[in-house]
Amino acid sequence: MISVSDIKVVFGKGTPLQKQALNGVSLTIEEGQFVTVIGSNGAGKSTLLGVLAGDVIATEGQVRIGTADVTRQGTAARAGRVARVFQDPLTGSCGSLSIEENLALAARRGERRGLSASLGPRRRAHFRERIAELNLGLESRMRDRMDLLSGGQRQAVSLVMATLAGSDVLLLDEHTAALDPGMAEFIMTLTQKIVSERKLTTLMVTHSMRQALDYGHRTVMLHAGEIVLDVAGDSRKDLQVEDLIAMFRKMRGQTLDDDALLIG
Amino acid sequence: MSLIAFWGAVELGLVYAFVAIGVYLTFRVLDFPDLTVDGSFPLGAAVTAVLIISGVNPWLAATVAMIAGAIAGLVTALLNVRFRILNLLASILTMIALFSVNLRVMGKPNVALINADTMLSPFFGLGLRDFYVRPLFVGLLVLFAVVLVWRFLESDAGLSMRATGANARMARAQGVDTNRQIYLGIAISNALVALGGALFAQTNGFADVTSGVGTIVVGLAAVIIGETLFGARGILIALIGCVLGSILYRIAIQLALSSDILGLKASDLNFVTALLVTVALILPRLRRGGAAS
Repeated sequence: MISVSDIKVVFGKGTPLQKQALNGVSLTIEEGQFVTVIGSNGAGKSTLLGVLAGDVIATEGQVRIGTADVTRQGTAARAGRVARVFQDPLTGSCGSLSIEENLALAARRGERRGLSASLGPRRRAHFRERIAELNLGLESRMRDRMDLLSGGQRQAVSLVMATLAGSDVLLLDEHTAALDPGMAEFIMTLTQKIVSERKLTTLMVTHSMRQALDYGHRTVMLHAGEIVLDVAGDSRKDLQVEDLIAMFRKMRGQTLDDDALLIG
Repeated sequence: MSLIAFWGAVELGLVYAFVAIGVYLTFRVLDFPDLTVDGSFPLGAAVTAVLIISGVNPWLAATVAMIAGAIAGLVTALLNVRFRILNLLASILTMIALFSVNLRVMGKPNVALINADTMLSPFFGLGLRDFYVRPLFVGLLVLFAVVLVWRFLESDAGLSMRATGANARMARAQGVDTNRQIYLGIAISNALVALGGALFAQTNGFADVTSGVGTIVVGLAAVIIGETLFGARGILIALIGCVLGSILYRIAIQLALSSDILGLKASDLNFVTALLVTVALILPRLRRGGAAS
C-alpha cells in the first residue's frame, strides 16, 4: 500500500518564480491496485511521481510506501521499494552497458552490492530467460550495448528490469510517450501482463486519455496541483474519453477566466 | 635507439600505466575529468622518498603513498560533491594545493634516493641485468593492478560505479548512492596514480616536485592510444589498452627524441607530447569517416 497525505510542493520558494506544483494532494493506493494519472501540462503529474520516487522532496505532508515513512528519503535510499520506468528510454537504462549488465544492475536494486562477479552463469541464464519472454529476439543479443537497441526495445527491457527485484510500487512515467503507436501498444500490453501477473501496485502517468481509461482499476485527474477527479469501479466504466476531454476544456476555461479577471 | 633506452622507455611506460588506469577510472568510467593526478603523482613520489630516507620499509612507504593519493582524491570529490564546485575546477584546486603540500612533505624541491634500499633492491644482482629487472618488476605490479581493477569493475560494486558515470539518474533509481561512487572512484584512481609516483621515485632514484607537470596529458594519451588500437571491447581489453598505450607512448617519445633527423632536444618533450596526444585525439575521428565536425 502507498499513501501520500496532504502533500504540498513549492518550487523556488521565496523567489519571483515561486510555483506551487502540488497543493495538498492526498492519495491512498491499495496493495495490487493499478492507478492511472492524467492531467494537462503543469498539472503536477510529474511532481507527484517525483514525490513518490524520491526525486522531489515534499515541502509539506507525508509519503508512505509499504510500511515505511519515506517522506525525507532520497531516490537511492528508497529504491528498494520503488521500481520505475522512465518516459525517455535513454534515462531508464545505461546505453554504454550491455543488456545483461543493465539487468544485473537492476537485479540488485536497493540491495547492498558486493565484490562478487555481477554476471555468473546462473544469473546469465535467468536474465536470458526473462528477456526471451519478450519475444523480441533480444535473448541472442545479451552482450550488445544497450544503445544499439530501438527506443521500444529499450522500454521493454526497462520493464523487465523493473521487475527483477521486488518492490512495493511500480511507477510508470508516460513510458510509451516517446514510442511509435505500434510499439506503444506492444509496451502497454506487456505492462498489463506484467502488472497483473505479478499483482504489482502501480501508478501510471499518461498523456493518453484512452490509456488512462482502458488500463488499470482507477483513474485520477490532476489540475493545478490538486486532484479534481478520482474514479474507480462502475462510475469509471461509464466514463468516456469525451467526458474527460469536456472536463479538461472546462478546467482550462476556468484558468482563462481567472487570467481574464487578473488582467481586467 | 639503444637496448637500454628501449627498456628504459618500456619501464617508464609501465610506471605510467598506473596513471593510465587511474585516468581511465575517472575520465572513462566515472566521466569525471580529474586533473588531481598532476599533484597526486609527485605526492606519491614525495611521500615514498621521504619515508624511505627516514628508514621506513619501501613497501610500506609505497602503501602510505597510495593512502596519501587516495586522500588527495577524496578532497577533489568533496569539493565537487559536497560543495558543488565544477569537477574540472575542483581537481585543479586540489592539484595547485598539492604543489605546496609536496614541497612541505619533502622540505625541498628534490629528494635523492641514490643509496637507499627500494622495493627493487632485493631483485638486483640475481643474474638479470638491472635494466631488465626494473620493467619486469613494475610490469608484475601492473599486471596485478589490471586484474584487480578488472575484477572490481565487473563486480556488482563496480557495475554501480560504471552506471554512475554512464547514467547517474538511472543509477540512483537503482539504489546506487552516486555521490559515494564518485568519492570511491576518485580515491582509487588517485591511489593508483600515487603508486605510479612511488614507483617512479624508486626506479629513478629521486622525487621531484615538478615531476607531476603534464601527468594528466600522459595518462590521457595512454588511454586514447589504447582505445584507438583496440576499440571498445570490454573492460579487460580497455585496461590492457591503457597499459600498452602507455608503453607505446613512451617508445614513440623516445624514438622522436633520439632520431637525429628530427633534431629534437629533451626540452622539446612537452611539445612532442602535446602533438602526439592531439594526433591520437584526431585520428579516431578521421577514421570514423569524414571531417571532424
